[in-house]
Amino acid sequence: AILTLGHLYQTHSLLGGNTRCRAMLQSFSILLKSYTPPPSSRDFRHDVDHALLKPAFQYWTTLCRPHSVSMGNAFSFLKLAVANLDRDLAWAEARELLLESMEAYVTERIEYAGKAISRHAGSKIQDSGDVILVFGKSEVVNRLLLDAALVDKKKFRVIVVDARPLLEGRDTLQILSRAGISCTYVLLNALSYLMMREVTKVFLGASALMSNGSVLSRIGTACVALLANSNHIPVLVGCETYKICNRVQLESITGNELGDADEVACADCARINPSNRWGGFMSGAEDEKKETDVLTDWKQQENLKLLNLMYDLTPSDFVTGIVTEVGILPPTSVAVLLREMSPQENNESAFKGTD
Amino acid sequence: QQQQQQHHEQNLHPVIADLCYHLSRTSKFSSASHNAAQDHHPVNAVANAVANAHNATPPSKRPALPLPVAAIRVLLNVIRRSRAETMMGLQADLRDASDVMIDFAKRGGPVPVAAATKYLLANRSHIALSSSCELFLNHVTRSSSHLETTTPNFRSQLLERGTRFVEFSLSSRDRISSVASPFVREGTTVLTHGRSKVVEAVLLRAARVEKKRFNVIVLEGRPDAGGAKTAKAYDAAGIPTTVVLDAAMGYVMEKVKVDMVLVGAEGVVENGGVVNKIGTFALGVLAKELGVPFYVAAESYKFTRLYPLNNADLPEMGKLDGGGLAFLDTLSWSVNSSSGAGSGREEKKTEVGEEGVGKAGSLKACADLSPYVVDLAPSVSVGNPPCDFTPAKYITLLFTDLGVLTPSAVSDELIRLYQ
Repeated sequence: AILTLGHLYQTHSLLGGNTRCRAMLQSFSILLKSYTPPPSSRDFRHDVDHALLKPAFQYWTTLCRPHSVSMGNAFSFLKLAVANLDRDLAWAEARELLLESMEAYVTERIEYAGKAISRHAGSKIQDSGDVILVFGKSEVVNRLLLDAALVDKKKFRVIVVDARPLLEGRDTLQILSRAGISCTYVLLNALSYLMMREVTKVFLGASALMSNGSVLSRIGTACVALLANSNHIPVLVGCETYKICNRVQLESITGNELGDADEVACADCARINPSNRWGGFMSGAEDEKKETDVLTDWKQQENLKLLNLMYDLTPSDFVTGIVTEVGILPPTSVAVLLREMSPQENNESAFKGTD
Repeated sequence: QQQQQQHHEQNLHPVIADLCYHLSRTSKFSSASHNAAQDHHPVNAVANAVANAHNATPPSKRPALPLPVAAIRVLLNVIRRSRAETMMGLQADLRDASDVMIDFAKRGGPVPVAAATKYLLANRSHIALSSSCELFLNHVTRSSSHLETTTPNFRSQLLERGTRFVEFSLSSRDRISSVASPFVREGTTVLTHGRSKVVEAVLLRAARVEKKRFNVIVLEGRPDAGGAKTAKAYDAAGIPTTVVLDAAMGYVMEKVKVDMVLVGAEGVVENGGVVNKIGTFALGVLAKELGVPFYVAAESYKFTRLYPLNNADLPEMGKLDGGGLAFLDTLSWSVNSSSGAGSGREEKKTEVGEEGVGKAGSLKACADLSPYVVDLAPSVSVGNPPCDFTPAKYITLLFTDLGVLTPSAVSDELIRLYQ
């Protein structure tokens, strides 16, 4: 199970914070179900943590793909759940508790949060006439648009903006147009024309929220937010609270992740499909490739490096509001949410003596 | 006890007093269970009572008690009179009562009441009313799990919490003026817009209590001449006051080197922006562009969980149909009329007074204004939005009864107030 998931992560078959987190928790459930602590162990919690959870997580993170903030927070939650188990509990019971708490985590902080976000964001979509711009593929954004169109029966148009090399927007386009929403599809370079003309609102997804209110999301998001802001178009970012990260990040390069540079080199968009790509490289599609790809031998060029970054950071100034399950908040309130979510840290206040 | 309450209510605005009185008379409070029925009885009864009250008393000055605080007093009485046995029942009663009041504020009621509501609400929004009712409800029923469930006990505890809330709200203006008046420095020029009792309290305190010398420039505040009315109050306190056209805000800000802009608020929204009298948004953008600090003075019961993205996203508040707008060429009038007030000077004082009934002044004395009135055919649409939304980025600081806040701290306070 661990190897399968690792492979899926590495080949970018699983993309998106929620998807990766759910998959991780699912794998952990499978592991837990098939695991029995050795009879000689003094504290099964220690064993579960060190022999089971940690190595798996480390394998995924170091050998396959760096973990997302959503995965990191879920993993911390799981470790905390393990640590909070009663020492003297029977393994079967303990396992049940763990499995239940993982279920609850996914249900509450991903599923229910998604519904609440839909509701709050839906109140910002007008009954008719809105032209909404979205970028790439975000589970939260797709859900809220589908709810607004199908449940609230609002009439709006969507412009799907997409970018190489992942071209996730195609999935969004499929999902939305199948639901009967009228969509337009453009690539990132057509953005400025559209912003000035038609767009009334922008909805973006996020991989993580930094505590200073900046938004970490798929590369290209910052461009969209920047352009919307300079055209005075409101930008709403939909993000569940479990993706809030304790870090303060000031610019995009720090802690970013490198994707596969070959994806950038390949100029033929039709082949960008994870299974195709890997298959194409292995089996003899190379003859066709040599004709079309100028960058085929980029590795042989001494002075040429191809950079394929996965994420970028949108500064909080460009975000009009962040839609979370607790409501729509200004980006400056992410730190407040962080404070409210972990009350035990409040006691060590520097101002404790004063009243 | 009934008499005590009557006496208590006479100090309140007549409409609210009647609302309160009639809310207690509706059948839902005399029965044990709470109905969710939206009956029109309260409003119709109020209509008659208010029409009587309006005819009986001459149009007087604005009520001393702010509308939101009066509404909270009404809700307190609802708690006193409610027959609900459970916390949920009581919450439902409170919610019904606040819905009736908010609805009344929004719709203005049937025709006999229209004049009285305009007087009551003075072309304002219902935001402060909704936010204070919401906050009161939240505050009073918040830690209901800590209170005992037996009805008589928790009712008195709720009443105590509610009364403290009312007292806190009543003393808001004093607290705001004490935190804000240090910002008015000696020898500076303050620009203000609209008629806010809070802003008046701040500036009057700076002048009278702190004995500072400063100038005030007031935008006249069409269509209700709010600014002109405030100018009287400042003048009475001996503050050198200048009244200018709303449209002169840019010119005046640069020409006279305004040092700060201070306005009030109808409502403070979650992203730290404010909803206030029309013209505030323009003033905010202007102040930011010219580097003049823009301060807002508002009580904390005006904090609301609304989140307007921009002015297009503001909920409907009052019709855009131009009710209340009349187009009068006062420049020509002042040039032609024998009383000749304000001719040729830069400042323009329009002494329209309240409800169009003028004071002893030049405009009233002039019998025939009709040549100067511009009549428009119905095919011309006239818009008169009462309020606009000023985003947080144009606001420097907010002076509230919770202290001096930056716009981003409003959300923090709201999260705490509603937690």
